[in-house]
Amino acid sequence: MSLSRLSLRIRVFLFFAALAAGNIIAVIAGLLFGYERMGDPSMRDAMIIGGTVASFAILGSLAGVWFLFDEHVAKPIERLAGFLRTRTHSEIDGEIEKDLARYLGDLAPAAQALTSRLNATRQALTEAVQRETSRLADEKERLEALLCDVPVGVLLCTADHQLAFYNGQAVDLLGSAHAPGLDRRVFDYLHQPPIAHAYERLLQTEDPDAASDLLCATLADGKVLAARMRLLSEGEDRHLVKRPGYVLTLRDVSNDMRSHAQRELLMDELFDRIRRPAAALQSLTGVLTADDGPVGPARDKVRDAASLEARQLAGAIHTLFERHEQNRADWWPLAMIRASDLAEAVTARVEADGGQIICDPAPLMLRCEGFEMVALLGNLVARLKGREAVRLEISEDGAGAMIALDWTGPMVPIADLETWLDEPLDVGLDDVTGRRVLVSHASELWPEQLPDGRARLCLPLREARRETSRPAPVPRAVVYDFDLLGKAREAEFAQRPLEDLTYVVFDTETTGLLPTEGDEIVQIAAVRIVNGRRVHSEVFDTLVNPGRSIPAASTAVHGISDAMVTGAPDIADVGRRFHKFVEGAVLIAHNAPFDMEFLRRKEKLIGQNFENPVLDTVLLSAVVFGQSESHSLDSLTHRLGITIPEEARHTAIGDTVATADAFLKLLPALKAKGLTTFGEVVTEVRKHSRLIRDLNA
Amino acid sequence: MADGGRQQRVLIVEDEDNIAIALDYLMTREGYDHERIATGTGAVEKIRDSKPDLVLLDVMLPGVSGYEICQNVRSDAGLSGVKILMMTARGSAMEQRKGLALGADGFIAKPFDLKELREEVRRILEGRAAS
Repeated sequence: MSLSRLSLRIRVFLFFAALAAGNIIAVIAGLLFGYERMGDPSMRDAMIIGGTVASFAILGSLAGVWFLFDEHVAKPIERLAGFLRTRTHSEIDGEIEKDLARYLGDLAPAAQALTSRLNATRQALTEAVQRETSRLADEKERLEALLCDVPVGVLLCTADHQLAFYNGQAVDLLGSAHAPGLDRRVFDYLHQPPIAHAYERLLQTEDPDAASDLLCATLADGKVLAARMRLLSEGEDRHLVKRPGYVLTLRDVSNDMRSHAQRELLMDELFDRIRRPAAALQSLTGVLTADDGPVGPARDKVRDAASLEARQLAGAIHTLFERHEQNRADWWPLAMIRASDLAEAVTARVEADGGQIICDPAPLMLRCEGFEMVALLGNLVARLKGREAVRLEISEDGAGAMIALDWTGPMVPIADLETWLDEPLDVGLDDVTGRRVLVSHASELWPEQLPDGRARLCLPLREARRETSRPAPVPRAVVYDFDLLGKAREAEFAQRPLEDLTYVVFDTETTGLLPTEGDEIVQIAAVRIVNGRRVHSEVFDTLVNPGRSIPAASTAVHGISDAMVTGAPDIADVGRRFHKFVEGAVLIAHNAPFDMEFLRRKEKLIGQNFENPVLDTVLLSAVVFGQSESHSLDSLTHRLGITIPEEARHTAIGDTVATADAFLKLLPALKAKGLTTFGEVVTEVRKHSRLIRDLNA
Repeated sequence: MADGGRQQRVLIVEDEDNIAIALDYLMTREGYDHERIATGTGAVEKIRDSKPDLVLLDVMLPGVSGYEICQNVRSDAGLSGVKILMMTARGSAMEQRKGLALGADGFIAKPFDLKELREEVRRILEGRAAS
């Protein structure tokens, strides 16, 4: 092994050991030489005693000097190197501890001056960059807001079908117990064959503008989604490696499919139930009208049969028509909208046309197509021009609602109304008439004369419900990392660069410290790090029912009591979800053997093994700062300038986030030490296994 | 059927001949004085002229719709005594509401059973409320 691979302290120790050995050899050689020259055998014992005393004296004095040198020079140099390295490669402020290098002369103040200067330069550079990036960030924010509001799910996948982007609508559509995560395979959420097939088909077309429409189903709940796939062109995918990634837009068509199937079923039933009595009637009337037809009781029998068939036919038509009526409105994609919102939109439209209207909407939610309904009502108000005090009233009407336009004056002739309904509405489409809007809502429109000299038009809606308080807007985030598109995945795991790996940093809270004595997990929290960035929206944080009581001493540490875990899921359920969350990732924990021991003891119950590679921030801290430092989470985060809020300390999620942030700050320091791949880090970590067991052995 | 010695009069406004045959048979058997017109055009004038006790009014008519005839009859104060029974091939609940709102006294969906129609005609002419 090359000496340069050894730590400074070991090399200093070896130097002093060699010095001591050399001195002792020199003393022994001198005594032997003197003894030979004297040629007096009686001096032999005196020479041996003298040599031994001198050797011990040399050994003792050099050991003392080595100890002082190690304590006051080698150790401080190692710590100072760690200090410089972290401040050079991570953005950490803070002064060098006073006593850190007091025997190194001006070195510590010089290092402090250097880091201060470095920080000042970095600060100036940061400010300059910030000005430019804030402009870009504003644009980015606007684009993100735009993407959040796109009413379809959007996924952007790499050529390896890993997610590099998803929006909030996609999270809803994929609807899994395991929320989507960056760098996860899209096939964890959607059935593979149609997507893989469409991708290959698009690759074969070699047309950059080609798009493929497909139907796919979610794995979680079998929802049918209509999807459109388009390959990323070179301009959009600057990371383009060999094969391009793709954009997948998703729309839930489960209801459309269900409605379609219902309609088909109804049609089939309609023909089945009409064909048989119609055929029977035709035959029976043929018999009755025949010149040589039956007479007497035989004729009565045929007549009764014909009468029965006619009744059955009429009954079937009525029943099927009622079912058709019930389902008719469901066949159009109608949403629930607020009556007040509808009224406001009508008012705006009428006022834009120079008209006036008074609105009185009841606090109702209406099932209707808002845009078309506003167009119809606006059109009707425009037709009522010249009539006085036109009002729009929306009131409860049985299970539905009544939309009424009333005014002072005579009733509208129904012939005029029928003509109005046949004319196209101003929605930009010729085939959208008032009558079509009524049909799509399974409704009718009619005029009525009111007793007080007023008249009105009535338009009932079949479905409405009382308004509840408006829910708080759901945050619709988009989550992305476009650098994932250029990630090469062919390399062996050990050879893959550290920043290319996906990590899950986690922490557990337990009933105690001894899993062998029956202690159990009460909380698991985890966050994901993808492409060297913590994905803020991808968090696992859940309480676990340990199936036993939590000692008061443990509750005092993490604040989790028996009452808090009573309704929580057990470890088998949480473990399965956690296993899915960590799939394909390197696990990171602070003092990982502790947490892993608790998890691995439950593998049989969970039905899954945690075979992920593991990194321990205790060991990574030892690699960066040297073994002589304290590697507690508090010390590590303090050294790295990370603050854990007091209320978050000793909570699983608080410690997890702190550990993740510490890891992200250790990453550049590891690279500066020449440790760029996972394999190199694991090899280095094993040198510190005296501190803690490496779990990748 | 007689009402205080007077034979009650029914006007059938129906464009489908086969239905009209059945209605003619039923009205004859029930003893009503009846006549039929096969189009909506001129129906209101005919009603004004003959002032029937009951109009059996089809909704879907060529020319003028049954709804329009109903509205015009109801807006004529001189025809307030004329009862209207609307007949429709669709018969949705919304159509029924529309017909009744326009002033019809009853509403029956096709295809109907003759007994059912007979009961509805009797109910309206006797001024009974619908059950």
